[in-house]
Amino acid sequence: MKEFLTKRNSFIGIIVLATAFLYSKDGSITTSVVSTATAFALPLALAAMVGIMCERTGIVNIGIEGTLLTSAFAAFFVSSLTSNILLGFAASVAVGSLLGLLLAVMSVSWKMDQIIAGTIINILATGLTSFLYVQGRTIPSTFPEYDIPKLKDIPFFGPVLFMHGPLFYFGIFVILSLYVALFKTTWGLRSRAVGEHPSSADTAGVSVARLRYINVAIAGAIGGLAGAFLSLELVGSFERGFTAGKGFTALALMIFGRWNPLGALAAAMFFGMTQAYANQLMIDQVVQIPTQFITILPYILTIIVLAISAGKVRAPAAEGQPYEKENA
Amino acid sequence: MLKRITAAAAAVALVTLGFSAPAQAATKPDCSKAKFKIGVVTDLGKVDDKSFNQSAWDGAKAGAKKISGGCATYIETTDSKDYAKNMALFADAKYNTIVTVGFLMADATAIAAAKYPKIKFIGVDQNNSTTNENLTGLIFDEDKSGFLAGYLAGYLTKSNKIGGVLAAKEVPPVYRYGQGYINGVAYAAKEQKKTIKTVVVYHEVGATMFSDPAWGATTAGQLLSQGYDVIFGAGGGTGNGALAKVAKKKGAFCIGVDTDQWFTVPEAQPCLVTSAMKSLSEGVSDLVNLASVGYSTGGEYKGDAAIAPYHALASRVPAAVQAKVKALTPKVLDGTIKTGV
Repeated sequence: MKEFLTKRNSFIGIIVLATAFLYSKDGSITTSVVSTATAFALPLALAAMVGIMCERTGIVNIGIEGTLLTSAFAAFFVSSLTSNILLGFAASVAVGSLLGLLLAVMSVSWKMDQIIAGTIINILATGLTSFLYVQGRTIPSTFPEYDIPKLKDIPFFGPVLFMHGPLFYFGIFVILSLYVALFKTTWGLRSRAVGEHPSSADTAGVSVARLRYINVAIAGAIGGLAGAFLSLELVGSFERGFTAGKGFTALALMIFGRWNPLGALAAAMFFGMTQAYANQLMIDQVVQIPTQFITILPYILTIIVLAISAGKVRAPAAEGQPYEKENA
Repeated sequence: MLKRITAAAAAVALVTLGFSAPAQAATKPDCSKAKFKIGVVTDLGKVDDKSFNQSAWDGAKAGAKKISGGCATYIETTDSKDYAKNMALFADAKYNTIVTVGFLMADATAIAAAKYPKIKFIGVDQNNSTTNENLTGLIFDEDKSGFLAGYLAGYLTKSNKIGGVLAAKEVPPVYRYGQGYINGVAYAAKEQKKTIKTVVVYHEVGATMFSDPAWGATTAGQLLSQGYDVIFGAGGGTGNGALAKVAKKKGAFCIGVDTDQWFTVPEAQPCLVTSAMKSLSEGVSDLVNLASVGYSTGGEYKGDAAIAPYHALASRVPAAVQAKVKALTPKVLDGTIKTGV
């Protein structure tokens, strides 16, 4: 029992109880708010996965914003040029992995400062997408939102979980798989070992550089998925500066979620809920508080929760340090 | 050691590429040799935002065309700390006219105008209470076009729920659009003797308020799922995201902003019934031409407000409603009917 009553579990419990209470008061509004929250949360959660994948193997990636922006751009323009959104999706994953490889080259092979490496990716992304951007293009369609028969009729859970598009479900699948892979497989154990104590992993026969390359490239591909979700499923367009800082918010959510995929998903969902409820406060006009206070609520709540849960969070020990073999 | 040098060199090369890329954009003209030089400094937003920055830039280009030896170019502001710096770049290069776009630049523009008395400044969306003769604030009654858009919305809604997804309330033109819209709906509701619920949702104020399409789309989705069937999207990319989302919902209407967004946001065409416009381009073009003959009005110059044509959606707007909007338009524009903002 004592083990069950952790800070995290009681936090999740409070959220669930609060949602249930609000649902009992007004079901349709609460359903709408929570399903809006999932749309806010998914791109942030996926972006946080990019950070988790990288940092768990010891690479700090602050270039998530750039990865998202470039891949959203690639997704939109390849879809537009070829009139095929599947090709656009493929392009965005490819571009994401390429940027991942670029980060790996800079931080693993060249042993550069990883903060600078990430910054380069962000600057490169802003520059390239602005330079290559052409106005007035459209894509043939966005990925459709399915209403899954039967399941969508379940009260509350139907609209919240079963009325999204394919990239949404793929994203959820990726997050759950990443959790399993990271904590239940040999690959996951090796990855975490490389992030915590690379020299031990090396002694045990794990190629640190190779694993870091692979993981950072996969992380980039996940960033590509997030970018494609934004431009091909959620919005259906692209504008310069399209990602509006989501890659940086994701870094905070990664820490909030303690470098755990499920934790980060919960953190993103919490952040999405606060955004959707902030909107709902403006829609309902029940309380007459200035909108300035409502719009900063998501950030204030996140800071408060971060402050409460802080202290116990610990980053992977070897993150940010290039690994050099000791010359014995 | 060699490795470090390679790494550093590569880093420098990449960063240079990143920084220089936008500057090489083929569309940005070089005015250094022109006789009459016009410099546009955008707000935190892009010159091709399909909305107000773009309209101002189009106006400057159109104005330059009418002047012999006229040439216009621009600088995009990426950080509000750079307003003064960006203006100084043009001023030090002896530009004849500097157009600054956006309410947020008002103070910086007033300071620059006092510092460079020989240069004519045009402040778009900027109230001007200074006595500097070389500074003209170009302002609009956004509430009037918002009111007309809201009036139309009040006749189009079937669910009697009308929404708006807007950039920050702290930006006065955005607020005027939103408040005019709400009052326009109320006016239509009163005429029809029914109750219509109107809400506008604002983005938080800050660097991303005009460039957050994902927020705009998600928030529009929230309104749609609660039965709101006419949605006004106003605020650069943020508003455009809302329009794109509404376009995917059958039977819903959306309303654009600033320019006729039928042309600038083609993905919104399935729902875009009109746009609440202000004649930014014409206003800037007129003032630039005045400046080219050495004239500056000083104080404030009021541009026109209007709403855009229905285009393909005309078939979904009943003829009686079209007639009502047509009859109301001149009365709102000349102030006979107050917008209440």
